[in-house]
Amino acid sequence: MNPEFIRTICPYCGTGCGLVLKVEGGRATASYPDRENPVSRGSLCVKGWFAHEFVHHPERLRAPLLRKGDSFVEIPWKEAIALAARKLRETADAHGPNSVGGLASAKVTNEENYLFQKLIRAAFRTNNVDHCARLCHAATTVGMLQTLGSGAMTNSISDLAGADCILFIGSNAAESHPVLMGEVYKALDRGATIYVIDPRETPVAKNARRLLQINPGTDIPLLAGMMRHIVDRGLHKTDFIEKRTENFEALRTFLQAWPLDRAARETGIPESVIREVAEAYAKAENAAIVYCMGITQHACGVANVIAICDLAMLCGHVGKPYSGIYPLRGQNNVQGACDMGALPNLYPGYQPVADPAVREKFQKAWKTELSDKPGKTVTELITAAGKDIRALYIMAENPCLSDPDVNHVMECLQRLDFLVVQDIFLTETARFAHLVLPAACFAEKTGTYTNTERRFQLVHKAVEPPGAAKTDFEILCLMGEALGLAFDYTTPEEVMAEYAGLVPAYAGISFDRLERAGLQWPCPDAGHPGTRFLHGTTFTRGLGRFVVPDYTPPMEMPDAEYPYYLNTGRVFAHYHTGTMTRRSPFLNREIEAPYVEIHPADAAALGVGPGDRVRVTSRRGSIVTTARISDRVVKGSIFAPFHFTEARANVLTNPVLDPACKTPEYKVCAVKLEKDHEAEAR
Amino acid sequence: MLEQVKQKARAILERKEADGVLGLRKGPFDVIHPHVFTAPAELDALVLEPKWLFAKMARSILRDRPAPYRLAVVVRGCDERAIVELAKRGQIDRDRLPTIGYACDADQARACLCSRPYPEKLDAGTAVDGIDPFADERVKAYLGGKAAERMEKWAAQLRRCIKCYGCRNSCPICICVPCKLEDDVWVERGVIPAEMVPFHLIRAFHLSDTCVACGACQEACPVGIPLMTLQLSMRAALKRDYNYEAGLDAERKSPVLFDFIKEPRPGQQVPDWVDSAGKKP
Repeated sequence: MNPEFIRTICPYCGTGCGLVLKVEGGRATASYPDRENPVSRGSLCVKGWFAHEFVHHPERLRAPLLRKGDSFVEIPWKEAIALAARKLRETADAHGPNSVGGLASAKVTNEENYLFQKLIRAAFRTNNVDHCARLCHAATTVGMLQTLGSGAMTNSISDLAGADCILFIGSNAAESHPVLMGEVYKALDRGATIYVIDPRETPVAKNARRLLQINPGTDIPLLAGMMRHIVDRGLHKTDFIEKRTENFEALRTFLQAWPLDRAARETGIPESVIREVAEAYAKAENAAIVYCMGITQHACGVANVIAICDLAMLCGHVGKPYSGIYPLRGQNNVQGACDMGALPNLYPGYQPVADPAVREKFQKAWKTELSDKPGKTVTELITAAGKDIRALYIMAENPCLSDPDVNHVMECLQRLDFLVVQDIFLTETARFAHLVLPAACFAEKTGTYTNTERRFQLVHKAVEPPGAAKTDFEILCLMGEALGLAFDYTTPEEVMAEYAGLVPAYAGISFDRLERAGLQWPCPDAGHPGTRFLHGTTFTRGLGRFVVPDYTPPMEMPDAEYPYYLNTGRVFAHYHTGTMTRRSPFLNREIEAPYVEIHPADAAALGVGPGDRVRVTSRRGSIVTTARISDRVVKGSIFAPFHFTEARANVLTNPVLDPACKTPEYKVCAVKLEKDHEAEAR
Repeated sequence: MLEQVKQKARAILERKEADGVLGLRKGPFDVIHPHVFTAPAELDALVLEPKWLFAKMARSILRDRPAPYRLAVVVRGCDERAIVELAKRGQIDRDRLPTIGYACDADQARACLCSRPYPEKLDAGTAVDGIDPFADERVKAYLGGKAAERMEKWAAQLRRCIKCYGCRNSCPICICVPCKLEDDVWVERGVIPAEMVPFHLIRAFHLSDTCVACGACQEACPVGIPLMTLQLSMRAALKRDYNYEAGLDAERKSPVLFDFIKEPRPGQQVPDWVDSAGKKP
């Protein structure tokens, strides 16, 4: 038997790199870059090169597991499906439809996410469906819907190569979206100017013209100061503003409150530097703003996004091939999960559940009545667990590591009458479940993912799932049938045909058309080539709308008792809750254990050396981890990666929410540090 | 040229000289991926572009399948030279790996800075003249000028590194297990960019006498570091001082390993040999 080579998409970040899996004897034995993928073009980062490693890990779930006391027993699929359906139905019947909720996943395919949200809405007549985009880019969706009309990245990744000025704000792209940096460096080779705005020195900053290490949570003061300077100097694009936007006067009025000296005071960045960056951005022929969770994971996350859109519109840097706004979606299918309506207020295609005409369309298509009331978000579902929410169905999500204040999360989940978790490993969350369903991973299924540049791309099945594990598609079809729905799909292709018929922007998407290079939505008909950039002649909402970005300082600032800022984030060898990367020998060896980065001056004051065990405590909890001494963080700030279950950074984080989009303020909270003397005693 | 390659592959399969032919297949929807062709009828789908190098892949396929399994492989000049180098190191049994060689065109040679864009065993296509890489502006930009300027230029490039290991993984000659680049004695874990000296220069020196200038490392680099250029100087030094080019003569072993005493630089006396302990052998 000769090896086979199967073309698919990397299961990790939102860049959506193409890879080729080598399959021998039913096992994925190597990963290679796909030379023809239009996004990655023959490149992979370390996670892609070793994407095959976790696939055959011995800890893969192989059979449905039913809780018996403190442990699990294996049960047959038929019994598992019947039990899950019965328990969920009984809960809804006893406590009302809104007592049931579902968490969809940014890691499973578009077709699976579509089926999941359809299942929850149609079987239980509730809109209690959400997923971890709430924790990442919900602020982007809300903010950009208000200003531009679409929450999607405005341009293509490869267009970064054509920018003359690139601002990185709250994005550590070299660790979280490494392959995308290739396009940035092409721009640099062409003479582009790069600025990094981040409280922490990131690898991108090493290659930038300048790093602006702003005080945590002061993005709006910086952006407002920049905009004020641009308007004062007459560098804004009056023609673009007049023809293509509205509400500029409101912004102008807002900027009166933001003279440069105030911006400098709040951000800690000198006026001269703010002027320099403002002029570089405004004067560039083409300019891009790249941002990520450093912008969105704040109590004023939506306002941060709005400020970025305001700046881009002010300078006319949107609606052109090489000028745009780049919210980098973190997970491989978080764009797709949102597109497929895995959100409590939006059906597929961002169609509002509260819109009667839209609801009527879906009721007709799905042959059932639907709720007109937006459902609860992830954070609300979990907080309400055991109270308003009595049963949860979680698909490939791990809130016991990913959500803020995880001690609270675990308490809430334990209050549920019924929790079913569908995943590929027994995650920290699955350990609390009453029923665990074993799912197939990316190498074991066919379907589509949508990357951060709105490109639908095909994943092809390369190997069989282990034991009795099934694809999420198969599981959802079984669940749908068990709950009385006509979920009689034979293939994911049939699911695509259904959602393409319901969302005009996806009407031209089909498996055949995606085979070679994928397609970027909007793709309104079968002959449409896909859309490289948005808002070209008109904004999605018509006119771009300037919105005043209300500034809110971080909810929790350092004080005498908790004197340090904690910032959390990602590192290059790992991915989110580490479920897959920590089971990849190569990736896990790169970074095996949790740590916290401490500035040398702070370390000296505390008597902490590299490798020392330190206790980090916030008002919500405490962890013990290992110190790294680094001047990548500024004095008074510390950084902790959030991938590790041994020292869960999210035990510390603040669950306070941006009121508009219910995203937690992960990026800033106050902590105290001390040497862990217990460790010393050992 | 493609027809000649197909014809050659068909003959190999029909005469059962190999169990399969490793090459590129253009499948439905014009999707291209590596493939082991096993039936003559499949060969209609064989294509030669884009550039994929098969030496390392062929090695792993042969290693997993003992004799009498035989694999034929479609190769460019650089791929053939990689196979020669692997064979010298006992990693490939060339009797089990017949090649179907074809020539690259002038554009490909220019893109790859290739001085020899054709295999020794040429089954298809016409050999074209290679280019002199040192005459290329892209190379001069990094190898010309004052040492301090060159150092800063290289440092700026290497700071971009995202430590993907693509250069190592894609290099056909880079096969050692364990790999020094994974050893935390040399390379600090958990940090990007990978450091210039312990990562990039260790890699460059490890390949100094085996690099066949295929360009796979540079093509795999997501951030565009000119890794081939880093290797060119060492290849040139070997050529100048020992008249040696990796991948050419299947019988001749690396002078760095075997010929130091016998073939010093022309005009230079044999050095007084001292090992690191200060003792003569």
